Order: sequence, then structure tokens, then C-alpha cells
Amino acid sequence: MRSVVLHRYALLVAASTLILIAAGGLVTSTDSGLSVPDWPLSYGQVMPPMIGGIRFEHTHRLIAGTVGLLTLGLAVLAWRAERRRWARWLALGAFGTVVLQAVLGGLTVIYLLPDWISVTHACLAQTFLCLVGVLALVTAREWSEAPRIESRYAGSIQRLLITTTAFIYLQLIAGAIVRHSGQGLRYHFVLAFLIALHSLFIILKCSREQGTLRALFGHALLLGGLVTAQAFLGFASFILTRRPGRGEVAPMTEVLSTTVHQTLGALILLVSLLLTLRSYRLLARRRNVPESHAPEPASGVFKGLPS
Amino acid sequence: MRHRTFALVTLLAAGILRFPGMAHAADLTGKILFEGQAPVKEVQKADADPTCKAMHPQGIENDSVIVGADGGLKNVFVYVKEGVTGAFETPKESVAFDQSGCQYKPKVFGIQTKQTLEILNSDATLHNVHSLSANSPQFNLGMPIKGMKLKKSFDKPEVMIKIKCEVHPWMAAYAGVLDHPFFAVTAEDGSFTIKGLPAGAYVIEAWHEKFGVQTQNVTVADQPQSLSFNFKAA
Repeated sequence: MRSVVLHRYALLVAASTLILIAAGGLVTSTDSGLSVPDWPLSYGQVMPPMIGGIRFEHTHRLIAGTVGLLTLGLAVLAWRAERRRWARWLALGAFGTVVLQAVLGGLTVIYLLPDWISVTHACLAQTFLCLVGVLALVTAREWSEAPRIESRYAGSIQRLLITTTAFIYLQLIAGAIVRHSGQGLRYHFVLAFLIALHSLFIILKCSREQGTLRALFGHALLLGGLVTAQAFLGFASFILTRRPGRGEVAPMTEVLSTTVHQTLGALILLVSLLLTLRSYRLLARRRNVPESHAPEPASGVFKGLPS
Repeated sequence: MRHRTFALVTLLAAGILRFPGMAHAADLTGKILFEGQAPVKEVQKADADPTCKAMHPQGIENDSVIVGADGGLKNVFVYVKEGVTGAFETPKESVAFDQSGCQYKPKVFGIQTKQTLEILNSDATLHNVHSLSANSPQFNLGMPIKGMKLKKSFDKPEVMIKIKCEVHPWMAAYAGVLDHPFFAVTAEDGSFTIKGLPAGAYVIEAWHEKFGVQTQNVTVADQPQSLSFNFKAA
């Protein structure tokens, strides 16, 4: 029997994590990463003067501390409320990840933002978001109660989603490298094109049958919409960060554009991963019917989702 | 008498060996001008810090390009890039670097390797000094208290090292680190003087934060020499 409390708590932690990722994005976008030169205290204090770049960096630390504590609560709750052993370990793994993330955050400050630590810190943040998001998914009612849907396209949809999610994760790594080192922009562009193409294929695939249409189409449309918005944001960020005559201080339009672009990237990864997992949970491969057969079968073959 | 003469010759030889070209040295002076319309100075709000805002209620003008009334370009770092020979003692006196009025002062300066940079916070607010050096270890120092002093130095030559405040993003300065003393920074009128340059052939480079670098060859004898550069907007 699933724990509703655990599910809702996991949703809370996931939402908090997205806010934390946005706060981290603001730190990078405002170039405030080294405004507090010490760690774990800030200028030797728990609460330093909140001026200049310190506002962004210290706020990020405060939110990170809160998310850390929330994740500890998640692990404890999962250990007590979950009967599935792998779900318990997932929650514990999330806690371990957030602790590692805090250490990486400290190392970025102590070693003055070496690129590889900053990139790892950024990518681990997205990974942590995914861990918590998955925990929220597997504790949801759909995961435990929804019937499976036979689909001739189950295999191809699942493979397409795995590929897309992998591309998105690579894209986040490429994006972090661009942000922290200025290198690799061309790979970022290529991956963006591939992801856009794949998200379109996903929508088309999910629309080919009634069963998948009801189960996954809305989620696929959400992914497609987010990817489209991200493409525009990426273009805007590219233009704004290369504006001639840009001074030492990034203007607010640039800060907002790059921060939202980075945060949306994390959300897209999560949405794609959850769609992938849902496809495995909800879709069953229909046997003895090749995928190349075009006609739509009769409606009695499929079992719909519970109301 | 013979002993006195020998002592004098020995002292002179030691002096020449210690300071090569000491017998023939001259000052290199010049002026650096800016051609064309000086760019409009961007004004940055200092609202991020109440102390800075109180000092600059209308904002802080971008000080990257300062052109004097007669077209002189300030804050150009002029130095001998090639042609210097011999070793030079590290000066015992420090180079002063201040955080005052929520700005770095001086904005551009020269310093020799291992010479002490004395960093002072003259403001009643929290500042931070981060050196973005590539050839020497970087430092990122919090200076939260007015009157606080810190001492640092750079191990290896580097032209130029950007120094920034990570708390106040408009604050930036540049240090030219050299293993010899032949450098200068232009004043408000664009003038500069490099003192005591021994006779010889040199490559002189002028660096500006926004307008890049220019070089010229010069041969110095025992008379003062003059040199000029003209920068213009890209």
C-alpha cells in the first residue's frame, strides 16, 4: 500500500529542489559564485551582510541547507513508510547525493571555481532532482494502480524516450561546460536540434494509438512545449551574453534569460525521465503483431486508465 | 694611491655589473591619445550595497575608458616587453591598492614579481579581492572591516591580471606584473614616463583594457627618448 504522505513529501522536495537549482543559476548568472570566499560559514558568520553578490550566494546556501534537511526527512519517511526496498534505497541515495552536492559546492568556493568541479556541481544538481522526482512518481497512485496498456509501439516509444532522455542529460552537461568554461557551444547547438527532433517524434508516436494517446500524449506534449520554449530561451541567452559593449555587470534581462534557460533544462530532464519511466510502467508490448501494421485495432483490446 | 684607484675601479665595475647599462640610461616619456569620440560612460547603479549607494546616489560611472580634455587616454599600461637583460632586485616598498568609494584605486598599476601588494579596505562595507591570475596562484580574499589590510604578491610575470570584487560586480582593476621595473601607467592627460631605461633596443607595448595592445620598437641611448601611441575605438 502506497504512502500518500511520502508521495506528497517527495513532491515538496522536488519542487524545493527546482527552486534551489534556479537559485544556483542566479549565482552563476550574476557571477556571484566567489562573493563568499569561505565555506561552510560566510565571512565567518552564519548570516553575513546580504549585499552585492553575497545576496545570491548566501541565499543559495540557505535554500540548499533547507533542501538538505528536507531530503533527510524524505529518507527517514521512506525508510519507515515504504515496503519496497529499492524505493527506500532510492530515498537514501537522494540524501547521499545532496550531501555530496553540498561538499562540491564548498569545493567550488575553496578552490576558486575550477571548471570541472563547477560542471560536476551543476550536473549533480539535475541528477538529484531526477532522484527525488522518480521517488515522487513511484509513490503516486498511477504507479501502483494503473493497468497496463498493450501497444504495438511500446518498444519503439520506450527506446525513443531513453534516447531522448540520454540526449537531454548530455545537453545539460554540454550546457554546464558552456556556462562555466565558454567551450563547446557547437555541441550544445547540435544536441538542441536532436532533442527538438526527438521530442517531435515522441509526440507523433504517442498519438498513433488510442491507448498511448490517453496515457502519455499529454505528457509528451508538455515535453515538446518545454523543449520549444527552451530553444527560444537558448537563442535569447546566446544573443544577450554576446551583446557588444556589455560591461562588467550582467543586465537583468541577461540574468533572467540565462537563469530560466538553465532551470528549464533541469525541468525538461525530469519531465523526459518521468515520461520514460511511465512508458515502461504503463505500456506492454503487444505480442505477434509487428509494429509496421497500420490499422487501428478495435477499442475493446485496450484497457484504459482508471478514472 | 694605487690601492685607491683599484678600489674605485672595482666599485664602478661592481656597479655596472649589478645594474647593467647604468653608465648609459635615460627616461622614456610619451603620450597616449585617443582618436575619435570618447564612448559614453555607462552608469551602474550601486543599489546592491546601501553603503555604496549612499556614496554614489546617482550610480557609479564605468571607468574603463577615461579620455582627458585634450584627448589623453588614462590607465594605459606601458612597459618594456622585449630587450631587458639582467636581474633586478625586488623593491622593498609595497604597492598600495585601496578599496575606496566602492572602487579600486588605482585601477591599473604595475608591480614587480614578489613585490608586496598591500591591499586596504577604506570603506565601511564588505569588499572582496579576487585575482584572476594565470601564472601565479589566485587569491580570493574577503575584507569585511574598514581599515583592514592584507599583503599578497605575484610569483611570475603576467600582463595583465584582472582583479575583481566578487561582491560588487562593477569593481575591476588590472595589474601588470613584471620582473623588471620598466613600466608606467598613463595619467589623466595620457602622459607616461619610464625611468632609467638602459641604452639598448627595446619593444615597448601599450595595453588598454578596452582598446587592446600596440607595440613599437625604440632604441634608447643616453638621451631622454619620446614615444607616442594613438588608440581608437574598434
